[in-house]
Amino acid sequence: MDTIAFLAPLFEPQVLLTIALGTFGGLVIGALPGLTATMGVALLIPLTFGMTPVMGLNMLIGIYIGGIYGGCVSSILLRTPGTPASAATVLDGYPMAQKGAAGRALGMATIASTIGGLIAAVVLATLAPQLAGIALKFGAAEYFALALFGLTIIASLSGDLLKGAISGLLGILISTVGADPISGVMRYTFDIQGFASGFAFTPALIGLFALSEVFTQMERIADGEEPIKSVSGRWPTRAEMSESKGALIRGSLIGTLIGIVPGTGSGTASWISYNETRRASKTPEKFGTGYAPGIAATESANNAVCAAALIPLLALGIPGDVVTAVLMGGLLIQGLAPGPMLFQTNPDVVVGMFGGTFIATIFMFIFGMALIPLFSRILMIPRRLLAMSIVVFCFIGAFSINLNPVDLYTMVGFGVLGWGMQKFGFSQAALCIALILGPLLESNLRRGLLQNDDNVLSFISTPITLLFLGLTVLSAAWPIISRAIVRNRAAQHQ
Amino acid sequence: MIKKTLIGAALATATAGAALAADFPARPIQVVVPYSAGGSTDLSMRVVADAFERLFDGQMVVRNQPGGGGGIGSSAAIHARADGYTLGAGAQGPLVIKPLIGGTDYQLDDVEFIGLYARSLQVMVACADAPFSDYDAFIEYAKSSKPQVGNSGAGGANQISAEAFADTAGISIESVPFNGSSEARTACIGGHIDAMVASPAEAKAASDSGQMTPLFVMEDERIDLFPDTPTAVEKGVDFTWSSWKGLIGPKGMDEETLAWLRDAIQQVANDEEFKKTLTDMGEFVTFEDGEAFEARARKDMETTRGVLEKLEMLGMNN
Repeated sequence: MDTIAFLAPLFEPQVLLTIALGTFGGLVIGALPGLTATMGVALLIPLTFGMTPVMGLNMLIGIYIGGIYGGCVSSILLRTPGTPASAATVLDGYPMAQKGAAGRALGMATIASTIGGLIAAVVLATLAPQLAGIALKFGAAEYFALALFGLTIIASLSGDLLKGAISGLLGILISTVGADPISGVMRYTFDIQGFASGFAFTPALIGLFALSEVFTQMERIADGEEPIKSVSGRWPTRAEMSESKGALIRGSLIGTLIGIVPGTGSGTASWISYNETRRASKTPEKFGTGYAPGIAATESANNAVCAAALIPLLALGIPGDVVTAVLMGGLLIQGLAPGPMLFQTNPDVVVGMFGGTFIATIFMFIFGMALIPLFSRILMIPRRLLAMSIVVFCFIGAFSINLNPVDLYTMVGFGVLGWGMQKFGFSQAALCIALILGPLLESNLRRGLLQNDDNVLSFISTPITLLFLGLTVLSAAWPIISRAIVRNRAAQHQ
Repeated sequence: MIKKTLIGAALATATAGAALAADFPARPIQVVVPYSAGGSTDLSMRVVADAFERLFDGQMVVRNQPGGGGGIGSSAAIHARADGYTLGAGAQGPLVIKPLIGGTDYQLDDVEFIGLYARSLQVMVACADAPFSDYDAFIEYAKSSKPQVGNSGAGGANQISAEAFADTAGISIESVPFNGSSEARTACIGGHIDAMVASPAEAKAASDSGQMTPLFVMEDERIDLFPDTPTAVEKGVDFTWSSWKGLIGPKGMDEETLAWLRDAIQQVANDEEFKKTLTDMGEFVTFEDGEAFEARARKDMETTRGVLEKLEMLGMNN
């Protein structure tokens, strides 16, 4: 039928090669800390000027998918989130690699990314117009409720509730630096122009996770501890796969749903997925110690977001995240205006992009699996040399995002902060979540109040807000509830 | 590739005489775009760089330095060494609005205007489920209650243009700031706000599919994309507004370099292929020389001053 005719151009050697190159390039960009998928797509848009729409757009989609996946490599091996999307992968990926299972950790991440990507691509190809409506339901009140729900992750992620709360509140306080989202007044910038947009997010993450780890390692090196690591293998064991089944499916679905909601993105999705998987697990205490389902949860979610974010873009003309906003520029340059009309006026392009999403995901799997032995060999580098190279990468990565020297101070400052937090048992993850969700929470609270004449009741007026606020209460009370359940069971057994 | 090099070599020999007269540019010219890669300012500057490299024997590199609503990158361009090798994308927000709100380390007087190559026209649109769908109904509605008008950021260009229109038309509006224009657009299509200022390209696609309804165009005359949409001027409100795509640099470049650059941007702006690409992107390609560009900036600044004063944002961050 028509669909097959529209898919045919995808299998021309030239188009396949372009998608493969895009995916590979994205993978490399994502793996390098400081180069994000967004930058990759934006910088290569001029290359698509002379290409046919299907070829050019699918190259960009390849970069996007490869870039979000590539972020897991440096997260797992170096504790340096290559992109913000894979910050949550640090939690289990890095300990797993440190235990000598770097290859299997990367393999798990690759499989999870592929499954997440494919599930979301199926949803994209079959249900895009139907699901796109969800994107339109989200107003200020709904975003506020979603962000509030996201913040409750802090409660369950941090062992010590008080320390977790302190980390989270510190994160929210830090996220208020910069121009006020509603009035534009500068807050806590001390007349330093470089802080006018607040602390830059990626440099902060690099400092918080990577530089702080270098400090910790330097202490260990000083203590003369140098374990020999094995990095062989790439396929997760059968036991690991069967433990991760639920995580993979849950992550893919959460990623798909969050991806459809514009303005949230893969960072949020992977944290929520991680938390839900941990909550559903029979052995939540294993999370954070190098447990494969932890990687499965985050990586399936963040790659599901890629395809899912295309749903509102193609069906409604509204981008689901930053990268798709840039992709929209790519569409406009081709003379194609994304929106409901696109399905009628250019079905070949829409179907071509659906197909391209599948193809790019499969290329990602092939390249990812093939490169694992090469990537994991990084850990064979003597620890002293590796630590020093990470420091260099931290600086390059932090600077290359905005070319703003202030970002370097940000990175170093967060490095020291992260090291101190780790030393005294404060959760870096809680701070990271608050940095992601704080601005979403604040701007939507303020916007909602502005639009409703300061009426707080407007925040509990729709089913979606009630759903998320209900989940928030449940999630915050979960530690108490689960303890009660355990006690009940124990009582019954007696 | 080899063919290209050969042609290049041949051209180089042919133009060697001319090149000796003024050996600018001897190395790549860097243009600081004060926003992230991928936005309309960035993309249009990349098209300029593309045309520049095609038309001249030189290289132009786009460098993104985002942050502070464009203030950080603009400051870098304005305070760069005045040798003509570091220039900037001249954007309305950071050049005329930011200095008035305060907190910048430059003023409009520190800017050397090289040339404007396009304008981004503005259309006020009614969003999904808005209680009005044409200009007259909009004004009528605004008399009894404040319409909520979304914009891409507090103190940004389209908050100023919406407020400036309201001021001139004698109505009052409730400005609702979002983090970037795509967020505002999402809220508009979802019906969470009443109206917003959009570019003709995005308004066109959205109005064809019934997501938005154009109310009026902020130009002197009706535009080709929306022949049935009135301008504010014809409705008796003397108000026009557009944002610009231009090239700026630091003050103090030597005259020869400046003249060369001004001529170069004029040739780029008149290049057919350049015009076509930029028009496809939804920009209104037009050329204004440095002087006209500066006059435009100063006029916009006066309008902005009035609006900010009314909003009590003048000098707010000083």
